[in-house]
Amino acid sequence: MAEELLNTNTPEVVEHKKDKRHMGLTASRTISNTVIYFILVIMTVVWLVPFIFLVLQSFRVESTGMVGYIIPEQWGFNNYVNLFTNTKFPKWFMNTFIIALATAALQTIIVLCMSYTLSRLRFGGRKFLMNFMLVLGMFPGMLTMIILYRVLADLHMTQQNSIPGLILVYAASSGMGYYVSKGFFDTLPKSLDEAARVDGANRAQVLLKVILPLSKPIVIYTLLTAFMGPWGDFAFASYIAFNNSNGMNVAVGLNSLISTPASIGKNYTMFCAGGVVVAIPITVLFLFLQKYYVEGVTGGAVKG
Amino acid sequence: MAQVKLTNVKKIYQGNVVAVHDFNLDIQDKEFIVFVGPSGCGKSTTLRMVAGLEEISEGTVEIDGEVVNDLQPKDRHISMVFQNYALYPHLTVFENMAFPLRLLRPKMSNKEIYDRVTSAAEVLGITEYLTRKPKALSGGQRQRVAIGRAMVKDCKVFLMDEPLSNLDAKLRNQMRAEIILLRKRINTTFIYVTHDQTEAMTLGDRIVIMKDGYIMQVGTPTEVFDEPANLFVAQFIGAPMMNTVKCQLIKEGKKYFVNPYGVKLEVDGEKAQILADNGVETRDIILGFRPEHVDIVKENGIPVSVLVNEMMGSEIHLHVLTSDNAKLIVRVPTVRLTKEEREGLTAGKELQISFPGKVMHFFDPETEKSLLVKE
Repeated sequence: MAEELLNTNTPEVVEHKKDKRHMGLTASRTISNTVIYFILVIMTVVWLVPFIFLVLQSFRVESTGMVGYIIPEQWGFNNYVNLFTNTKFPKWFMNTFIIALATAALQTIIVLCMSYTLSRLRFGGRKFLMNFMLVLGMFPGMLTMIILYRVLADLHMTQQNSIPGLILVYAASSGMGYYVSKGFFDTLPKSLDEAARVDGANRAQVLLKVILPLSKPIVIYTLLTAFMGPWGDFAFASYIAFNNSNGMNVAVGLNSLISTPASIGKNYTMFCAGGVVVAIPITVLFLFLQKYYVEGVTGGAVKG
Repeated sequence: MAQVKLTNVKKIYQGNVVAVHDFNLDIQDKEFIVFVGPSGCGKSTTLRMVAGLEEISEGTVEIDGEVVNDLQPKDRHISMVFQNYALYPHLTVFENMAFPLRLLRPKMSNKEIYDRVTSAAEVLGITEYLTRKPKALSGGQRQRVAIGRAMVKDCKVFLMDEPLSNLDAKLRNQMRAEIILLRKRINTTFIYVTHDQTEAMTLGDRIVIMKDGYIMQVGTPTEVFDEPANLFVAQFIGAPMMNTVKCQLIKEGKKYFVNPYGVKLEVDGEKAQILADNGVETRDIILGFRPEHVDIVKENGIPVSVLVNEMMGSEIHLHVLTSDNAKLIVRVPTVRLTKEEREGLTAGKELQISFPGKVMHFFDPETEKSLLVKE
């Protein structure tokens, strides 16, 4: 009897221990999940409120200035209509669109060529070039603003001609952003390049026919970042446009709507409507391209 | 179809690391040549220099009489199969195989491409997978596609860089046989790289055995097996590895004897003749003999005791220990043994072994060169 009592490993006891351990795990997991979700919900609310606020204000029609409440008393599209009819918003929007599109195209081509070259070719000064660009990239771009304005002014690419000027500036330094795509290319097996070269492809064909189709996620990433940079730029664009309303982009143009206390009272809700319209192309672009944001498609290329 | 000639080819990597030293080789038209050797011996580097994927530091590579040192891979008229298949994952099997054809200038017609790809697929038994992507294929199927992609193009030289290394043992044997058949069908010059001596022996017309960037021997499979030029080749070719023992070669009149493990054995007439022709006198040597040439004898043999018995099915590999603690391997075909004898070969069992003089190999202990190579 005493032995039986001392034996703590009878089937019943083992089963009970298992249950207890199981319950303990479940309970601790529930608690930690609750804490994590609580924190995430708070972060989401903090992050989303400004956007919701912006959208709601853009539909407010009872007044045009800043008010102390969020939900409009009267709803309507007046602010949007005014934005497109009584301001140069369509012009700014088109300016920005052209700049962003051209920059996205140029920057993507330059970045991908640069990254592929640095990933695959070995040439004298390669390491120095990579380090040099890394260090150069640490200096704020703003430092170059004055000299760049001078250069662009001499080329007649400022004020009403700011579109080509801005495209030139955005695209010129784009090769320096090679890190991410070079990192991606480095993960693609080099034997794919070699196989293609033996199969009869030159380097450009290797890039176009083999590497790029396998690099959709990184191409999309490069395109999106290249598009978003000019789309949201304010400092440089306002400097190059130099108060000429025909050369402004949306950020500079919208800012000009609320540049004085008097104009804030008059244009604030219209400014909010502008903010919403500006977000539309980026949202559409993301929705359209997100399906390509899939994990790499290199399965089966080489023996894993 | 072409001759390939490598003259004084050298590969020097950054930091003065020499991967290939002074490589000289004439590969005949339609010959199947195999580069074999352990990891880091320079075999793949040499192949990649022929392919144009690796720069040639010194020397020249000629394909069909033309020096190709400065030609891009695409201009060398070669096909290549890679160890890791290197299939294009975004393309179907058909498009993978059609890839080299689509790059041809002047352009090849779609019908011709279709015909070539489908006929290659038929030969390789992958017709039913033509619409699949590589990730939906097994290792063996992928390797077939890689071979198919190399087959469809008219090439002068067919290069294969360890094409079977990633396959499991059974599939490797099967694919090895298929490569022999493929070779008959394609009938072009092949250069095949492997670290597996069995592949080298079964596939090659001639084998180039390499070590540390140097060619150790070039010869037919029979030559390198029967007449190894040095100790490295003797031990690299053949499985299990050749047994070796330091002992004396004793010349008595016209006869030669060796005294391994304290037993005096006479060298066979033909080999004694070669030694005599080479003017070999009594001296220290490394004696080599292959595990399959060792017999278990009743008397007058070398006494040994069994350490390990590896039952391989058709044969037994006996690891035995001599009286002076030297380890040897003996290969015994099971067909020669009765059931009792087979079961009796357990650890600790005392035996006597011997081997005939005609299968002995003699190496210089310092240079490790064979004393049987005619000067």
